[in-house]
Amino acid sequence: MRPYRRRRIENLVAISLCTLSAAIGLFWLFFILIDVVIEGVGALNLALFLEDPVPAGLEGGGLRNAFVGQLLLTLVAALLGVPVGLLGGTFLAEYGRGSRIGHIISLLSDIMTSVPSIVIGTFAYAVLVKPFGHFNGWAGSFALALIMIPIIIRTTEEMLKLVPWELREAAFALGASYYRVILSIVYRGAAPGILTGILLSIARVAGETAPLLFTSFNNTFFSVDMNEPVPSLTVTVFQYAMGPYENWHAQAWAASLVITLFILIITLLGRFIIFRRYGKWKTL
Amino acid sequence: MGKESSLSGSLFYVFTVISAFLVILFLLGIFYILFSESYLAIREFGLIGFIFSQEWDPVRDLFGAAPTIFGTVVTTLLALLFAIPVAVGIAIFVTEIAPDYVKAPVSVAIELLAAIPSIIYGMWGLFTLSPIMAGYIEPALQQTLGRLPIVGILFEGVPMGIDLLTASVILSIMIIPLIASISRDAFNLVPSIVKESAYGVGATRWEVIKKIVLPYSKLGIFGGVILAMGRALGETMAVAFVLGNKHQITTSLFDAAATITVSLANEFTEADTDTYLSSLFYLSLILFAISFITLGAAKLTIQRLQRGGAR
Amino acid sequence: MEDIVIDVQGLSFYYAGNIRALKDISLSIQANTVTAFIGPSGCGKTTFLRCLNRMHDLYSGNRYEGRILIDGRNILDKDVDLIELRSKIGMVFQKPTPFPMSIFENIAFGLRLIGIKNRTEISERVEKALKDAALWDETRDRLHKSAYSLSGGQQQRLCIARAIAVKPEIVLMDEPCSALDPIATGKIEDLITELKQDYTVIIVTHNMQQAARVSDYTAFFMMGELVEYDRTERIFTNPSNKLTEDYITGRFG
Repeated sequence: MRPYRRRRIENLVAISLCTLSAAIGLFWLFFILIDVVIEGVGALNLALFLEDPVPAGLEGGGLRNAFVGQLLLTLVAALLGVPVGLLGGTFLAEYGRGSRIGHIISLLSDIMTSVPSIVIGTFAYAVLVKPFGHFNGWAGSFALALIMIPIIIRTTEEMLKLVPWELREAAFALGASYYRVILSIVYRGAAPGILTGILLSIARVAGETAPLLFTSFNNTFFSVDMNEPVPSLTVTVFQYAMGPYENWHAQAWAASLVITLFILIITLLGRFIIFRRYGKWKTL
Repeated sequence: MGKESSLSGSLFYVFTVISAFLVILFLLGIFYILFSESYLAIREFGLIGFIFSQEWDPVRDLFGAAPTIFGTVVTTLLALLFAIPVAVGIAIFVTEIAPDYVKAPVSVAIELLAAIPSIIYGMWGLFTLSPIMAGYIEPALQQTLGRLPIVGILFEGVPMGIDLLTASVILSIMIIPLIASISRDAFNLVPSIVKESAYGVGATRWEVIKKIVLPYSKLGIFGGVILAMGRALGETMAVAFVLGNKHQITTSLFDAAATITVSLANEFTEADTDTYLSSLFYLSLILFAISFITLGAAKLTIQRLQRGGAR
Repeated sequence: MEDIVIDVQGLSFYYAGNIRALKDISLSIQANTVTAFIGPSGCGKTTFLRCLNRMHDLYSGNRYEGRILIDGRNILDKDVDLIELRSKIGMVFQKPTPFPMSIFENIAFGLRLIGIKNRTEISERVEKALKDAALWDETRDRLHKSAYSLSGGQQQRLCIARAIAVKPEIVLMDEPCSALDPIATGKIEDLITELKQDYTVIIVTHNMQQAARVSDYTAFFMMGELVEYDRTERIFTNPSNKLTEDYITGRFG
């Protein structure tokens, strides 16, 4: 007579399973985070930021060179990638809106976002390392910029399209030319979203290792010469973690913690900007 | 639209066009450069010969892609297999089950976890997960599933923790936040009035999820899974630490293996002959082609379905 | 004395944050009648409707006071099975809410929920429901097409069919015609008058002509209070309360 009982039990079982799988997933994720924090905090010290590495096997030293190198590589990548991404996204959302070519480029950007970063590394190696015969910082930044560009293009496009068309018409009605409208009305309306897109793309490349392995390579010395190999935190973590020395492992944990914190802060900042502008958390 | 009359306007217009077309240029450039760099290996081993050859012998200058393609496909599929149920479970929990004060923090946490760089996952895998796998999980699997006929061969050998299974688990942990956050967004798009009307005919929470929410958002989940698949296919650092980079095709999940990405990461700077380097470029080209084709096809399918109005 | 199906006694309702949306409402609704809830926006008429199948329980923090007796049982009791309650009370929403499945499956959905497995019985009851909702002729040869392929008015009749397929005692309608054109509205109104032979219908509407056309009883709400409740002709010809008179003659709202 009553199917309710069976259905209630099924409901309870299914809901419990969902909750359980959520708990399992969250357990592992927090396990990683907490592990990185515990191991990393234990290995943090001032020397890490202020001293360069000592020869392998010796105690002490730090990763000052890698911190500086990482910032340099990321900064140059942003200088290359942000203008291209911003302008490209502007074309897709404004001049090329609704056009076939705009649609194709948009689709290709999506696909390019998913091109394996190590493949981009091999490409950068072929065009910027091989011809010169040695690893260099430019190749690393170029590879990172290639990863940033499609991300910024797509977020810029989406954010510009959120600006109501009537706003542009209102500006046209005042006799403004299209690029004036874009520069002074559309960009202003979409600024928080675009900024978040840029921040998220920086967060994404700041943790990249694979495209740097054979472009900027690594350097145990302090160097800000982009024509030479530039050290980076991520590649250093890879080499140190795979290496045989205990103090290398400790420094790798500490460096990982710093990278993670840096990226989490940038990500949170980006989300916060969106939250203030649109009143809700939004995935880009 | 698109014509600017002033000089500065025209310049601006031209720069936007150039920037947008750079995407096409880069993609074509990547394809062309990888092709020309691997030309030597292509001429030497051919396409079919390279893809199906299990040889990887730098000393004799003989190279084949079969083991790395095998490793790439197996780790990706296993990672998706582990990650999808958990990630969708998380998304269901966050949107349909958890009370409001749990929803927001868990949501934000998942997005932050999605932002953690893969090298962190990789290093954690080497130092923390791998010993756990070797010490507890893998022996337990061997004692249980390993004793069954047929599936038993998946769990043969000495559990070392540096193997296909560990790599797949790390990969799956890494893509869980990605699938979970996209699925959650898709679930949130289900109009609450449609859910209410299902509750209105007396459906239980689970029935609403199963019959309304999941069908309504299946395209969105599919999109998330595809994105995660792309990430897993091309992931280097999360697996580089724990896969062992051994070019072999094995039946046991407890054996070391190699993926295209791992062998590139480990061998690219060590390749000492032109054929060796060219073969590595060839691997890169194959990975590029696999990810480009699968993602492109999936994107087009999703767009077509969306345009068709199907949900 | 006629048969009383719903007997509300001193009902107050608070949204999360202790916002009082209904104040001490009491009224009884007769079986096989159409009752209209009218009143200005935000007066509580929809809030009240959603109390009757405890839809508010989907969102946390909401709170009821008082009693709602349906067939003599207080549905606000803690041990009431909401699933069972809601399958006894059908609901139709402001906008058509077809589920993402075929026309046939939309109706079979509710039938399967109440445990009907026999395929012939399901087909028969789907057909019956579609006929009762005056939708059979338009859909008989495309039952397995997506429900989204129907027009807005047809979708809304599908939702009515879905609600009545499980043979509820009561059908709640929350401004069912607000998203529809006049022709589709006319069809739904005809349908509502038909439905009262088998069901007790409660309809929330902001359209007073509609209330006058379809209902037997009308309840006028304002600021969360029930101002007047009486036979429809009396409310519209000779209301006893000044506020009601002002509202129906269009002096505010």
